[in-house]
Amino acid sequence: MRGGAIPLLAWGTLLAAMLAINWIWTGDALQVGEFGFAVLVIYGGALLLWLASRDSITRGPPRPRGEPETLPQVSLAPVLIALSVAAILFGLVWANFLVYVGAGTLALSLGRLGIELRAERDTRRRIERDVLR
Amino acid sequence: MSVATETVTVRRSGIPGWLGAAISTDHKRIGLNVGIASLAFFLLGGVFALLMRAQIAQPNEHVVSDSTYNQLFSMHGSTMIYLFVTPMAVAMAVYLVPLQIGAFGIAGPRIALSGLWVWLSGGLIMQSGWLTADGAGRDGWFAYAPLSNGTNTPGVGQDLWVVGVILAAAGLLLIAGCVIATIARRRAPGMSLLRMPVFTWTALASMLMVLGAFPVLIVAMTLLYIDRHGGHIFSGFNGAIDYQDLFWFFGHPVVYVMFFPYLGAAAEAIAVGSHKRWFGYVAFVASIMTFAALSMSVWAHHMFTTGGVTNQYFAFSSTLLAVPAGIEYFDAIATMIGGAIVLRASMLFALAFFIQFLVGGLSGIFVASPVLDYHANDSYMIVGHFHYTLFAGSVFGFFAGVYHWFPKITGAQLRESLGKLHLVLLMIGTNLTFFPMFILGEEGMPRRISRYPTHPGWGALNLLESIGAGIIALAIVVFLVNVAVSLRRREIAGDDPWLGHTLEWATSSPPPPHNFERPLPPIRSYAPLLDLRHAAADRACRRDGAFA
Repeated sequence: MRGGAIPLLAWGTLLAAMLAINWIWTGDALQVGEFGFAVLVIYGGALLLWLASRDSITRGPPRPRGEPETLPQVSLAPVLIALSVAAILFGLVWANFLVYVGAGTLALSLGRLGIELRAERDTRRRIERDVLR
Repeated sequence: MSVATETVTVRRSGIPGWLGAAISTDHKRIGLNVGIASLAFFLLGGVFALLMRAQIAQPNEHVVSDSTYNQLFSMHGSTMIYLFVTPMAVAMAVYLVPLQIGAFGIAGPRIALSGLWVWLSGGLIMQSGWLTADGAGRDGWFAYAPLSNGTNTPGVGQDLWVVGVILAAAGLLLIAGCVIATIARRRAPGMSLLRMPVFTWTALASMLMVLGAFPVLIVAMTLLYIDRHGGHIFSGFNGAIDYQDLFWFFGHPVVYVMFFPYLGAAAEAIAVGSHKRWFGYVAFVASIMTFAALSMSVWAHHMFTTGGVTNQYFAFSSTLLAVPAGIEYFDAIATMIGGAIVLRASMLFALAFFIQFLVGGLSGIFVASPVLDYHANDSYMIVGHFHYTLFAGSVFGFFAGVYHWFPKITGAQLRESLGKLHLVLLMIGTNLTFFPMFILGEEGMPRRISRYPTHPGWGALNLLESIGAGIIALAIVVFLVNVAVSLRRREIAGDDPWLGHTLEWATSSPPPPHNFERPLPPIRSYAPLLDLRHAAADRACRRDGAFA
């Protein structure tokens, strides 16, 4: 069966219809703004799925995927980034020094993330050159 | 025929132990981490509930102070909604969706891992308010302005609550984005959108609602934080209404974020337990989409009595919700009709989910009417209604999912006898706790009060509710014992103990790091393993001459 994005488009359209009724009935700018945001998100989701699903909904045997993909098993950087952001917000409320600690850790963890991503890219290139050729 | 894919994966050496689990980018580990942490928050929120029930078990009790009671009901609601039911739904989606759609991993694993830690930090920051001099957040899980502004609720505890909510919502938003991207980009060949399992559809609807509603919550909480520190954003009547508009634009859709994945889990358990394909798949998908659209159009029914919204519109859209809900019930019943039903614990929990949620849904039709809502507003009637929808509509579905997928996740079977005892206790406890609330509400007992005067019938019904809460706690203890016993004395489950329908049952239990080491079966419907079994049965019949 094709056209799986249709349910989402139907969702977005129903939501848009409810938005139109709400607009006519209430005319509240804040409500219309929130509603409009939700409609955009759902239509955006449908568009994303429609664009992305083409490979998967073609008939016939699936095409083999030959490109290498690096999948890290562990990664420290995202954890540090998350904890840094939390430390900054916690510091805003509780102890200001944590804002500086969080900002410093955030800078370091973004650097660490860059190193991880570069190492992955190098590995992928090496595999493409040495294994798949 | 099997489908071959030639994806070359490069594995980096993992780190064993706790640290490795904490920084793992495997979607199964991330899902388990979110699940385990949210289960811990569930136990904490349950303790808050028991303390509240102890305080109001009888008239004029003095177990805790008024201020502590305010903190308890606020943190109970906040913990359950931001830190248990919603994240548990997200955890199930993160763990199961890639497996169900034949993906080798989640899209954006680092973002998902980051989301886990942002959410967990938010939860811990929210709870850290208990350590402050003013106590934890005490304005309910909604923190209505101007009650929650800096003048009416001073103190760091409420600020920590606001920041905690922002982080928890942001973390879940990040993870939801990864689940949607996985569905968009990583489905196995042949897995078209309308061949996705019902659980995956419910997860997709939930995650899209997270994307549509959670940013509004983050905006509301950021504005509230500014307001609390002299911003005067929500001052005056319009300010109060605007805050509620922003909050409930998140607050009502999140009810369905907390419902859909559990509905999906119950649907999977019923289909597999009935040994039949889920009935009316396309109608089910359409009903989920309709449900989702309508559920984002009804938020101001929480504001009927404020005088600041158009009641007719929101009563109209709220009542419409009964239509897609009815389709799901028809589908569940039609799936069971003619099926070879096996009443395992997962199936029983799924049936209980539909029965208990029905009470919440039917009482929802009453309060969707502004005329009746004016009568029921701020009474225990509403508390009963939303606990039947949120507790019964999520926890029973959650346990249906746990009993269904525990063998896949751990490789071990849960004990059926303990599971059935767990179900019976939970059913008794739920109804004993929440049904008397309808009567109390009808008699006019207001909600959010820490003490009440002696009133005919109120003391007895409240005592009954408190006993019921104790029975729910006992049911949870039985569940935890079941998990501990089943993990210590393992009964090996095998890869597909229930004759499952969907792709997660085509891999080992527990699944390997990249999910599938064997070729995937051909995907020609939303139940590919059932298709395989039917094809094998057809071949056997032809071989034996059954069709001659």
